Amino acid sequence: MSLLAAEGITKRFAGITALDDVSIALEEGERVGLIGPNGAGKTTLFNCLLGLLRPEAGSVSFDGHDITRLPVYRRARLGIGRTFQRVELFSGSSVRDHLLFAHRIRSGTGALWKDVLGLGLPKPAEIESCDALLESLGLGGMGDEPIEALSLGQSRLVEVARALMTQPRVVLLDEPSSGLDRAETNALAETLARIQLEQGFGLLLVEHDVELVASFTERTYVLNFGRLITSGDTPEVMQDPEVRAAYLGDFVAGTQ
Amino acid sequence: MTASVLAAGVLEDTIRAFFQGLPIGAGFALVAMSFVLTYKTSGVFNLAFGAQAFISAATYFELHVRRDWPIWAAVLVAVVLVAPVLGLLLERLIFRHVHASSAVAKLVISLGLLVALPELFKLIVDYNREQPFGAVGIIPDGTTIYRLFGRYPVTRDEIAAFVIVVAAAVALAALFRNTRLGLRIRAVVQSPRMTELNGVNADWVSSGSWMLSSFFAGLAGVLLVPTTSSLGTVLEPTGYFPIVISALAAAALGRLVSLPAALFGGLLLGVVTTQMRTHVPRDNVILAELQGPALPYVMLFAIIVFWPAIRRQVAGADPLLGVSPPPPALAATSRSRGMTIYTRIMALAFFTAVGIFTFGYANNFWISRITHSVIFSIIFLSIVVFTGLGGQIALCQVTFAAIGAFGAMQFAQRWDISVMVGMLAGAAIAAAVGAVLSIPVMRLGGIWLAIATLAFALFFHDVLVKYSWVGGSLFHGRGVPRPEFLGVDFSSRENFLILCVAILVLVGVLVILIRESSTGMALRALRGSETAAESIGVISWRSRVIVFSVSAGIAAIGGGLLAMEERLVGYEANFDPQTGLFWLVIVVVLGTRTVEGGIQAGVAFVIFPELVLHRWLGLDGAWRYVLFGFAAISFARHPEGLLEHGKRRSQALMQSMFARRQPAMAPAGAGAGATAGDGPPADAGAHPGDEP
Repeated sequence: MSLLAAEGITKRFAGITALDDVSIALEEGERVGLIGPNGAGKTTLFNCLLGLLRPEAGSVSFDGHDITRLPVYRRARLGIGRTFQRVELFSGSSVRDHLLFAHRIRSGTGALWKDVLGLGLPKPAEIESCDALLESLGLGGMGDEPIEALSLGQSRLVEVARALMTQPRVVLLDEPSSGLDRAETNALAETLARIQLEQGFGLLLVEHDVELVASFTERTYVLNFGRLITSGDTPEVMQDPEVRAAYLGDFVAGTQ
Repeated sequence: MTASVLAAGVLEDTIRAFFQGLPIGAGFALVAMSFVLTYKTSGVFNLAFGAQAFISAATYFELHVRRDWPIWAAVLVAVVLVAPVLGLLLERLIFRHVHASSAVAKLVISLGLLVALPELFKLIVDYNREQPFGAVGIIPDGTTIYRLFGRYPVTRDEIAAFVIVVAAAVALAALFRNTRLGLRIRAVVQSPRMTELNGVNADWVSSGSWMLSSFFAGLAGVLLVPTTSSLGTVLEPTGYFPIVISALAAAALGRLVSLPAALFGGLLLGVVTTQMRTHVPRDNVILAELQGPALPYVMLFAIIVFWPAIRRQVAGADPLLGVSPPPPALAATSRSRGMTIYTRIMALAFFTAVGIFTFGYANNFWISRITHSVIFSIIFLSIVVFTGLGGQIALCQVTFAAIGAFGAMQFAQRWDISVMVGMLAGAAIAAAVGAVLSIPVMRLGGIWLAIATLAFALFFHDVLVKYSWVGGSLFHGRGVPRPEFLGVDFSSRENFLILCVAILVLVGVLVILIRESSTGMALRALRGSETAAESIGVISWRSRVIVFSVSAGIAAIGGGLLAMEERLVGYEANFDPQTGLFWLVIVVVLGTRTVEGGIQAGVAFVIFPELVLHRWLGLDGAWRYVLFGFAAISFARHPEGLLEHGKRRSQALMQSMFARRQPAMAPAGAGAGATAGDGPPADAGAHPGDEP
């Protein structure tokens, strides 16, 4: 049984079928890519998995439980973490605060009565574990920085760190390369790959940077016009003639 | 036979109520169209229309009744001259400069103006509020009665109101359809900045629409006087509240963006009002209330909560809006060790000096003033919690404070329970009311939350207080004893002050604990980005219910203490919704994000008018409304509050001085690399289908 699975997802917007009977699955600890040209339905599928959109048909399951009707926060608490294409950080908070918030909420120690009795203040152990994660993501010593002072690449890493503090079993990355140049993308991919190996969470990478997906994932799904056109081991998918025709076209021709 | 006579009677009543409703609705429609005009063209949700209507009406009264000007001359000055000039001034001097601020910031500014403008007018004109107004309209012999179809009585005033409003609406429609200005206004409505990129001067368009809307408000102000009971015999700005609320309800029907919807909504609500008065039986208490003062508030609340268009609407549909930088972190979080020690020593010295003065030298008057400022600090901490931590604006803190005061009173009077227990019970009731209220309103957010809570506050004020189980009975009075517990009698001024200070410390610590702990973390996360907060498992509704009810409870504790201090519930003097608006304004101006800010607001609210305005400058205490009301403008640039802003600046200055002596202590790398491509999260443009 897959860790995270979508079965026959169909989603329509005002008559346009954005997703048509799409099924994908992700195993524990697996790195999976989801690619497709603009408008292929990647983000729609992503939002259906997370609970931001409710599909007209189909179901989403996590670890054997049907989560199709669960709200976003319930899915998060089950162990689905995510990052955002357009960075969504908590303005006015420091880098460490982001990790601390996530840890607190995940560990469920947030009762009001504890706060009132002074039991809810950040503990040294919590701060230490936040700083340790920052260190391993290459953000060591930046815990006190205001979030506004970070570069886009660093902000992406803070999003990853925030997601990881919730101890997710799967992390969904929404176009992490957007807005980054090639060198920054590579650095991000390297860090992600390392931390993923260390912690062993599953990873779903939604991207249109094919190079990143090719270098990073084990398996890939390809969407086009709301339909799954192919899926399989990443190297094979990249060689698939249909994929190359429909989507990769120039890119593959240009690099080989 | 009898049945058909009865049916004919009902029909006749219905038609009569219809004709009576139209002129009332016309007034609502006029103000509703003003709301839509300014909201569409400058994104300002201008609650100050009530004040603008009042100023025109009061000017008319001043000129026509007190100085015997002829009607035409008084109307010319009050409506055709004063109203548009006022609108132009507001736009040029204030709202033009806050163009890019959030809708909530603009709402706060308009609240400040709503507080400041009428007071300023009264101070300048020496307006005599005690003199009866006598409900004079702008039509000669306005009370002349005509019979429509030989049957249905209408006054000349009513006919005039209806005809003028319909003419205004037709003229407005023609303006939009057929003129360049109309076209530009429509473009600006879609997106001011986009329109500017196309070479249209959006500012000019916005000036025009402000003059127009202010003219409408002024016109409504004078037209409504003869037909509106809340304006009564004494013309006061609060008399316009029910009208503004009804107009808001009408404008809300069209999501604040549709002028035709505002017009028809206004007329509809006017007719609904009179139909309810005619047909709903009066023997049921609740139904009887609905025919009277409760109706506009209930309507507004219901429309905001249930009208599907509003549930879908998100403030700031302009794709280029909402790119202003987020509030910076608190100054205290970035100060050096030396600064912290210095600040603490200064604070300790200050409080010691105040303590020595209070208990050694102060007379009864000053002890009472100091106690008042301590109590208001507690009340204002509820605003610190809701606005500072929760990031939302609620206008019903005054109601929660009143609930606390009445709770203490009722428990002490009826069941002879200790007044402290009564106060805590009142706080519990307020917290429960807050929690219940938060459920329908919390997902609204922004301006709609503010308006829904205002409707609730006005509903409490005009309806609930009159019930003896809330506001007490005339027979028993509203007396509240000072407490006595743990064997200590707190009835002396000094002892009671000590009790209040102790409670302030407790509440202050509570607020800090909440801010720094899990609840505060969840709130800060929600404030930063709701989507991201939910993605890490924050349950947004739960956090909002908590913040609403904690804040309500704190306000109620303050309200209970205030009643004990004054030995009675001074409801009219302390807990009027208009006063509540001023509370919000003063806290927001001085600083909502720190406990310090709340305490400074408490001191400023009580001591400043007495000491600075009255004793030192010899001015009327009402100047405080004017000063702080206009100071609300600063909220757009310094949402953290003026004191926090000043603190940050002086801290930066002093730290640079420290740093010169100790070069090792360089300020943390603020601003480095802040030019990141995507920048801070801006939630604009992500909501397709907001505004066609």
